[in-house]
Amino acid sequence: MIVDSLIVDRGVSAGDAWITVASENARDALSALKGDGYQLLVFLTCVDHLADRSRDWPARYELVYQLRNLETREQLRVRAFVDGDPPRIDSVSDLFPPANWDERETYDMFGIVFTGHPDLTRILMPDDWVGHPLRRDYPVGGEVVEFSEEHEAWRTAPEKA
Amino acid sequence: MADGAGESVSSEIGQGITIAKTGETGAFGGELLTINFGPHHPSTHGVLRLIVDLDGEQVRRLKPVIGYLHTGIEKQAEALRWQQVVVVTDRHDYLSPPINNLAYALAVERLLGVDVPPRAEALRVIMSELTRLSSHLVWLGTSGIELGASTMLMYCFRERDTILDMNEEISGFRMHTSYIRPGGVMADATPRFLEMLDRFIAKMPSNIDEYEDLLTMNPIFRSRTIGIGRLPAQDAKVLGATGPMLRGSGVAWDLRRSMPYSGYENYDFEVATSDLCDCYGRYLVRIKEMREAVKILRQALDRLPDGPVNIDDRKVLPPPREELETSMEAVIHHFKLFTEGYTVPPGDVYVAVESGRGENGCYVVSDGTHKPRRVKFRAASFVNLQPLERMAMNHMVADMVAIIGTADAVLGDVDR
Repeated sequence: MIVDSLIVDRGVSAGDAWITVASENARDALSALKGDGYQLLVFLTCVDHLADRSRDWPARYELVYQLRNLETREQLRVRAFVDGDPPRIDSVSDLFPPANWDERETYDMFGIVFTGHPDLTRILMPDDWVGHPLRRDYPVGGEVVEFSEEHEAWRTAPEKA
Repeated sequence: MADGAGESVSSEIGQGITIAKTGETGAFGGELLTINFGPHHPSTHGVLRLIVDLDGEQVRRLKPVIGYLHTGIEKQAEALRWQQVVVVTDRHDYLSPPINNLAYALAVERLLGVDVPPRAEALRVIMSELTRLSSHLVWLGTSGIELGASTMLMYCFRERDTILDMNEEISGFRMHTSYIRPGGVMADATPRFLEMLDRFIAKMPSNIDEYEDLLTMNPIFRSRTIGIGRLPAQDAKVLGATGPMLRGSGVAWDLRRSMPYSGYENYDFEVATSDLCDCYGRYLVRIKEMREAVKILRQALDRLPDGPVNIDDRKVLPPPREELETSMEAVIHHFKLFTEGYTVPPGDVYVAVESGRGENGCYVVSDGTHKPRRVKFRAASFVNLQPLERMAMNHMVADMVAIIGTADAVLGDVDR
């Protein structure tokens, strides 16, 4: 049973129930919720609230865990806010096996370090990539990739002519 | 060249296959070899790379390496306005664009708090089921080729082409239709589309019989799939598998039935399952799903309600073209929509739909501006690839091809 003392806040967003837990308690809360019947972690991801003034956010990064009870078909979203450099939170990949790749993706894209993850490496970006692309301070486009130079030459050619 | 035990000796043979010796001794007295399978191998359905440790010809360890098709779709979505994101949703799971559109459209509609008219819902169901059929047809054709039945591709692509013709008729685009949009659909179905659909539904059951004649009792196909890639129900659930991967393990979980959306609760269809838990079971599930999809299409076409196909909200959808000539207000709405778009109230929502591969969901966060703060696609293929090691363990390399095939991962969906 998840105890009320773990829950910082709760609410409903567009019909989806959610609770917020303190980041240091996230693992305990998810473990308790798994015991309550939320057996499936549908996905986990992160939202970067950098310079988002629409609401008053307690921290920059929001970890989102979407849980589902396959018997009652209830869904619950668990939020945990983290800050720091790098931001850290406990891994839940042993509780929910699908979290393994999701946590690697979140590390790759946002730089969140999941303590206790068995193999926290980049999953979508190349291993030697610098930066975490889905952070809001990471620009869209303009990154140097293979053949960039040729593309550049091709783009400037008409102006020279 | 020294190749003593424990020393890693790499050599390039054939087309990009790298071999390294691990130094471990296998069950047959030989040494385990690490082989790089893919990423450019045709049977990896795109660019999936597998690092496999082989004992003789048997798989002892397997590690999927993904990301070769990463296109930053989620990052692009943050830079686009709400109505423009529809176009990128088409492109992650490139075999089922309308279903991806639907997940995104439903999510945005939930945040906006609008409901689409019944005709739009029915058209969305029609497009979803056509897409499910075309996606399963690609799977069946390519799996047939991999398992020695090269005729399958000809038959399957014949019907898939009919579906693409219908896509073209209704949306003007054959593959990336962007047909389903927040607030409704792109345009009403033309009478020609409905005729084509009617003919297609009448013909399709006999086509599926043809596929079954070729494969279901085919001894080569059966010996390549029965008992191969077993995934027991408990494992499938724990590993988060969805779609035919889960139903092929005997779990009757289908979002269309379990958590209905877009009016699926009004259609009469069976959830296809198989207790075989192997590649053959997943084949049977997909064949049955194709038959059920035809049933749903028939019901949707027969009961297609009349009326508008879009919500009547000028703040979200542009006014009809003819209004622009007479109404100043319509011109202003049109201008505002195509220059700055619309805003969505702050909040977040997760909507899941059943695609040909399983649960394709869309998690959308709005900060109240003209662009989404975050769009996350919950890709079925991404999660369905994780049980691959469990399924391929102790099977032959050739069986691994059958297992990758029946996992039916679209790499665009895996890497997004």
